[in-house]
Amino acid sequence: MTATTQPMRLTTDLSTRRFSDVRDLLPNVANPSPLVRLNRVLADHDLDTYLKLEWMNPFGSIKDRTAAFLMAGLDRDGLLDGKELVEASSGNTAIALAALASLAGTRLTTTIPDGVPDEKKITLRMLGAEVWETPDDLCPVDNPRDGAIALARALAASEGGERYAPTSQYENKDNIAAHYETTGPEIWRQTEGGVRWFVAAYGTTGTVVGAGRFLKEQDPSIQVVGVEPEPGHRLPGMKSFREASEPAILDRGVIDHSVVVSDDEAYETTRELWRQEALMVGPSTGAVVAAVRTLPTAPGDLVVAISADSGIKYTSYFEDILGEEGRPRL
Amino acid sequence: MTTQHTTDTEVETIELDCTGLLCPLPVYKAALALGRLQPGERLRLITTDPGALQDVPAMARQRRDTLVSVDSTAGHQTFVIEKGPEQ
Repeated sequence: MTATTQPMRLTTDLSTRRFSDVRDLLPNVANPSPLVRLNRVLADHDLDTYLKLEWMNPFGSIKDRTAAFLMAGLDRDGLLDGKELVEASSGNTAIALAALASLAGTRLTTTIPDGVPDEKKITLRMLGAEVWETPDDLCPVDNPRDGAIALARALAASEGGERYAPTSQYENKDNIAAHYETTGPEIWRQTEGGVRWFVAAYGTTGTVVGAGRFLKEQDPSIQVVGVEPEPGHRLPGMKSFREASEPAILDRGVIDHSVVVSDDEAYETTRELWRQEALMVGPSTGAVVAAVRTLPTAPGDLVVAISADSGIKYTSYFEDILGEEGRPRL
Repeated sequence: MTTQHTTDTEVETIELDCTGLLCPLPVYKAALALGRLQPGERLRLITTDPGALQDVPAMARQRRDTLVSVDSTAGHQTFVIEKGPEQ
C-alpha cells in the first residue's frame, strides 16, 4: 500500500487544464469549484444568488474535499498504513473515499442507509468498495435512526481494531478543516468579500460549520444558514435532528438560522433548477434554494448556496416523482 | 464467524457464529442470514456482546420472525430464530 501523496500539478495555468494526477483536480482557493448565478428560479426575489457547483469536483460532490482531508488526517496521524477504511455515508463521502483509497492502495468498506439510490451503491462497488446497506433502524434500542453510523463504529472496533481505520466524518475535526481551509476561503475570494448569506444543508455539518466559521471570521455580519429536512425525509445526505443524533462536530455558535424544508419543496425546486436554469443538481440543492426563498434578506444581497452534488445520482428518485410526465400521450 | 447447516428437530437450521462481534454487527449479519432462509427455517445465532440480548429480539419482532429461544450463559448468548412468512 502506498501512502497518500500530494501530487504536483503540472501547471497552475488553468487555461491548459492538464494535470499529473486526478487528485490535482480537488478544489482549493487556486482551483475553486465554480459559482454560477441563478437568473430565473429566484427572479421574484431581489437577490444576487450563486450556487457553488460542487459536482464539478473530480469525484462528483462536496465530499471530495472532506474525503481528501480525512485521508490526509489519517496519514498525518499514522493511522492509515496497512488498514482499510470504514465510514458511514449516504454515498458521496464514500464515493470520494473509495476513489482516494484506491489511489492509496487500500479500499473502503462503507455502511450506507438502505434508502440511498442504487446509482450511488453501484458507483461505490464499481470503485471497489464493499457496501453494507443498512436500515436506519438497525439498532432500534440504542440508535433508533443512525444504524449506518452504529454499524461503522462496530466494524471499526471489530478484529481488535486492526483491520479498519475509521474516518469518522461525523466527529472528525478534519471534516471541519476541509471547509474552513477550502470552501470558505474560495467563497470569500470568489465573491470578493461580498457574500452576505451562506446557505448549506445539514448532514455531517462539516460544510456549514467549517465554511461558515471562516466566513464569519472575515465578516461577523455574514449570515450562516443550515437547512434541515423533515423527519422521514427522502433527501440523501441531509439529516433531520428531530430524528437523528446531532454530529459531534456541529457548532451551533456558527449558525444564525436553521430552516426546515419539506421533500415536496426540495424536489419541486430541484425540478425548477433543472428546467429553468439547466442546472442538473441533486435534491439537497433544491432544498437549500427552497430555503433561500424564506430568508429575511435585503434587496441585492449576495447569497452563496452549496450545490453539494449532481442529480445524475438520483435519477431513480426522479423517476418516482415524474410519474408519466415526459412520456408520449396517446 | 462461521456458518453451518444442521437439521435441528427436523427443521432446517443454519448456525451463525458472531462471537467477538460488537452490536449491531450480529444483528446485521443475522438479518442477512434470515433473508436467505425460507419461511419456517431457523437460524441459531451465537453472540458475545450483551447488547444482542436487546437488539436481536427487537430485530426479530421488526422482521416478523419468531424468537424460538434465548440462552445466555458464560458470556455467550444463543438465539434460535424461525423465519416468518415472506413480506
